[in-house]
Amino acid sequence: MNDMRLIDRAVDMKDIKFSARNVQVYYGTTHAIKDVNVDIADKTVTAFIGPSGCGKSTFLRSLNRMNDTIDICRVEGDILLDGEDIYDKRVDPVQLRAKVGMVFQKPNPFPKSIYDNIAYGPRIHGLAKNKTDLDEIVESSLKRAALWNEVKDRLDAPGTGLSGGQQQRLCIARAVATQPEVLLMDEPCSALDPIATAQVEELIDELRSNFSVVIVTHSMQQAARVSQKTAFFHLGNLVEYGETGQIFTNPVDPRTESYISGRIG
Amino acid sequence: MTDASANNSASGKSSLLVQDARTRNRNAVEARFKWYGITAIAIGCAFLILLVTAIAFNGSRAFRQTFVTVPVTLDAAAIEAAEASMMKTSQYRKMIEAALLTEVSEANIETDMDAGKLGDMLSSSAPAQMRDFVLANPDRIGDTVSFDFLTSSRVDGYLKGRVTRESLANDKNLDAAHLDLVDQMRDIGMVEKRFNIDFIIGSDASEERPEQAGMGVSILGSLFMMFVVLFLSLPIGVAASIYLEEFAPKSRWTDLIEVNISNLAAVPSIVFGILGVAVFIQIGHLPKSAPLVGGLVLTLMTLPTIIISTRAALKAVPPSIREAALGVGASKMQSVFHHVLPLAMPGILTGTIIGLAQALGETAPLLLIGMVGFIATNYPTGPIDGFLSPNSAMPAQIYEWAKRADPAYYERAWGGIIILLVFLLAMNVIAVILRRRFERRW
Amino acid sequence: MPFLWILIALIIIASVAFVLGRQRAVQSAGGDSRKLHSLPGFYGWNTAIGAMVPSIAILAGWMIAQPIIVNMSIAPMITSVEASDSATLGLVLSNVTNVSEGLDAAIAAGAITDNEVAALNAETDNIKGLLSQVGKVVGSDITPEILDAARASRNMNATGTLFKTIVVLAAAIAGGAFALTKIRPDLWARNQVESFVRYVLITAASIAILTTIGIVLSLIFNTVKFFGMYSATDFFFGLNWLPRFQGESDLGILPLMWGTVYISIIALLVAVPIGLFAAIYLSEYASKGVRAVAKPALEVLAGIPTIVYGLFALLTVGPLLKSAFGDGGVLGVQWMGSADAAMTAGLVMGIMLIPFVSSLSDDIINAVPQAMRDGSYGLGATKSETIKQVVLPAALPGIVGAVLLAASRAIGETMIVVLGAGAAAQLSLNPFDAMTTVTTRIVAQLTGDTDFASATALVAFALGMTLFVVTLGLNILALYIVRKYREQYE
Repeated sequence: MNDMRLIDRAVDMKDIKFSARNVQVYYGTTHAIKDVNVDIADKTVTAFIGPSGCGKSTFLRSLNRMNDTIDICRVEGDILLDGEDIYDKRVDPVQLRAKVGMVFQKPNPFPKSIYDNIAYGPRIHGLAKNKTDLDEIVESSLKRAALWNEVKDRLDAPGTGLSGGQQQRLCIARAVATQPEVLLMDEPCSALDPIATAQVEELIDELRSNFSVVIVTHSMQQAARVSQKTAFFHLGNLVEYGETGQIFTNPVDPRTESYISGRIG
Repeated sequence: MTDASANNSASGKSSLLVQDARTRNRNAVEARFKWYGITAIAIGCAFLILLVTAIAFNGSRAFRQTFVTVPVTLDAAAIEAAEASMMKTSQYRKMIEAALLTEVSEANIETDMDAGKLGDMLSSSAPAQMRDFVLANPDRIGDTVSFDFLTSSRVDGYLKGRVTRESLANDKNLDAAHLDLVDQMRDIGMVEKRFNIDFIIGSDASEERPEQAGMGVSILGSLFMMFVVLFLSLPIGVAASIYLEEFAPKSRWTDLIEVNISNLAAVPSIVFGILGVAVFIQIGHLPKSAPLVGGLVLTLMTLPTIIISTRAALKAVPPSIREAALGVGASKMQSVFHHVLPLAMPGILTGTIIGLAQALGETAPLLLIGMVGFIATNYPTGPIDGFLSPNSAMPAQIYEWAKRADPAYYERAWGGIIILLVFLLAMNVIAVILRRRFERRW
Repeated sequence: MPFLWILIALIIIASVAFVLGRQRAVQSAGGDSRKLHSLPGFYGWNTAIGAMVPSIAILAGWMIAQPIIVNMSIAPMITSVEASDSATLGLVLSNVTNVSEGLDAAIAAGAITDNEVAALNAETDNIKGLLSQVGKVVGSDITPEILDAARASRNMNATGTLFKTIVVLAAAIAGGAFALTKIRPDLWARNQVESFVRYVLITAASIAILTTIGIVLSLIFNTVKFFGMYSATDFFFGLNWLPRFQGESDLGILPLMWGTVYISIIALLVAVPIGLFAAIYLSEYASKGVRAVAKPALEVLAGIPTIVYGLFALLTVGPLLKSAFGDGGVLGVQWMGSADAAMTAGLVMGIMLIPFVSSLSDDIINAVPQAMRDGSYGLGATKSETIKQVVLPAALPGIVGAVLLAASRAIGETMIVVLGAGAAAQLSLNPFDAMTTVTTRIVAQLTGDTDFASATALVAFALGMTLFVVTLGLNILALYIVRKYREQYE
């Protein structure tokens, strides 16, 4: 859409939100992530790109400890959120995930009403003092996910009855409602048609004003369209990390260049 | 700053390293919930342990029985007189009682009982045992033969702790004085508990002599039933599964059969018993209590199970095998019988054995077709007799014993359960081995 | 054993037909079996089938028809019964059948000869005694009329059996010969054999339907007979259960239903929470090691026959409960009169159902997609919050189905209640009272020497019918719910 803009798009350096140092991830004996160092800025959209199986989703999931739910998965190294090690023994993953929300590849609304889907997070984290509070959170989250106008008359309808694009925006609204500081998105548009994809991308760009957004994507065009910073993963290594414009126009590493020009992937 | 980040700071730009009160609360709920689960598992396992302990503790005693060793002189004249009289066994009894009295007094055990009263501690099976020996070994007449007679179930119960002197207060056969004698006889080794093979291979006995009752005949009854079940349910089950899995067109009729099978699998077993009474006995005039009828009823009951597992086994054979056979010009029927069926056979056999194990333990339908309420004392004389003449079956025998008044029979019911479970365990082990041995990963 | 001999003769004829068919096929192709359409063996099979099928069909038809025809022709001989009273007539006819079968057995056992049978006199000879010698017990008196009918039926049966043997064997030979004449090199023998095998397979598959029809017919037939003797209203709404063999019984189902439902509810109260929590723990929390031990342990509970649970209730749990809640028990209350009680049976049945509930729930919980859980964890929910607010609501229909299936099991369970629940049919609220259930009464009414003509025995079929309808309804509903639930996630 606006690929031309990215060259002259300025990215001002913001606070560092996540900082990963020498991160290794193992699935049983498989070494899935090898020695990754990266700093993720606040109020920025950071894209992880790379061929399938390169470890980008694995790395994303280790940022809010979603990998904990997999028995055989082991993470080494330091991942700091605002300077605190999220793999510290004292850290409760539940509290961490409230700060680092996640949106998944396939829309996964709960089999509940639209309202209850959004209210789920605020309820479990106790963010609303009363019903009016909760109503407000639901409304503002749906508005922020650009879904309010479509569903405001049927908040009691089941969330599973929405279209694919609406469902994904519902999931984004659901994540936003818990008021996280970081939003992780694992290929959020891969199950959506082009129109829905455009809507979600537009939404991601808006979310940047409030959150640090990390998005894993298969589509280089999408990374170019929505992100300010891009990290290229290959075979578990972080090959190159930098300004999106620079990565796509003038990559340093030959592997990045091969991928971008379509020779590997 | 936008409102979102304002909210963030409101809910605490808190450190991740410190748990806030709400998280602590939620984690407490989490821990409690987890404990409910652990408790549930623990209760389930505790029940299992309680059940197994009850079976092992109560049942193991049935395998040991108290015997008294008495040398009896086989006096030719006395035996001739006994054989000539109307009440043969009572004559033999007198001989045994006299021998017992002699033996007791020779062992320097003081007693003021007469021979008849002393003999009350013997099982009423003793005379028959002696007579059988005499008839089988006429050349031994004149010798002194040392017999191991069963004691009465009261004496046996005393040595096993079931019977006490108090509980004998109202007993018409035995009193506390007998027990004093038993104590002394045990000390000199005249009376002792030992392994009783007759419990496993012997036949059932009348209400009054629990010490003599065994599972042997009912084991045979179960065996004959299992033959019927195996030879009917395996071919019919396999044929039905092959049709449904390989040939059946998608039609109403097929749907009807499928719904029927899944419903039959959940019909209470007693309803199959009613079917058996009405169809095989009321209309078919087959003999009551016969293993053939029991086998037919259990076949109908087991069929759904076997069909379901056989279809799973057929489904597990990949379509490529069928296509390969069809590709070299085999007919559909040939591809199934030459290739698919042999490959599915281990799975089918495993399912069949498990179905048989289920049928072996099933009781309710057997009650209705009359496999209880009588004393299964006769071993079948041949295969046809085995299928057609009235017999009991293991679970029916256990039920029969549990219903009898004498508590000595409870011990035998528990013991019968051990035998039944050994059979079930063996069948399941075979099924597991079959599965391990021949399991194929495609 | 004439029947066995007929079968053996048929098998021999079929084997001969097989050999001849095979030879003829090879001959017809001039000794070169490659010129045949099918393998030579198929021609052999085809001929054997030609010999077997018509003869076996005739044999089966004959065996069904013969008793009916015999009964019809001897019915006019029974003059003491009004022709309109078909129920009594049926009884007398079954007596006649019994006597004639008994006479056959007596001859086979050598207790009497053919000529002596002809000379028997019902008034002077002790025929009942004679028959009981060979193990045939006849309920009512043997009148001269019955004896005459029995003799007539024996004669007719003997003639019938003779003709049956001739006709069946002739049909076998004719069928085989006809199939033999059809053999030509271009006969599609394989296809014919295969289509026959196909019919055999279809027949096997239809046995499931035949079983259901058999169940339904045998229940309906006898239930209708029962309602001819006892009012249906009294049966379904009667508050008393007092069967008397002399007649004048009170046969109200309500106390039995009450006991059944009460005990089932106790069982479900035990099994559902334990089974459900066990399933949740095993599928969501347990480590591999715990799963490897606890899951088979629970499955062992499922593999134990119900007679074992029955004995466990009668001899272990009952006395244990009585020592706690009974007179002189440790709790100092006198709630429990005897060891047989609704509580005893319900508790043990609950134990039996734990693995049933847990394995069904385990399947259902595992069917909830992982994405649903991830969504919840991603929002920072704890495991228990995820389970309670996402997984269980999503799995609810399936779990309801599982509970219904468990309820149908509990209602139809027999051995535990027969041994553990007692025999008193009463409408009591106290769970420590003895109660009785539909299944125990079916067993009680049908055990022993059943006389299929009295209301006290036939009531078992009405009870069975009720049981069948209730459990079938629950099963169909449960299977429907579970299937709908599964489709949702497929």
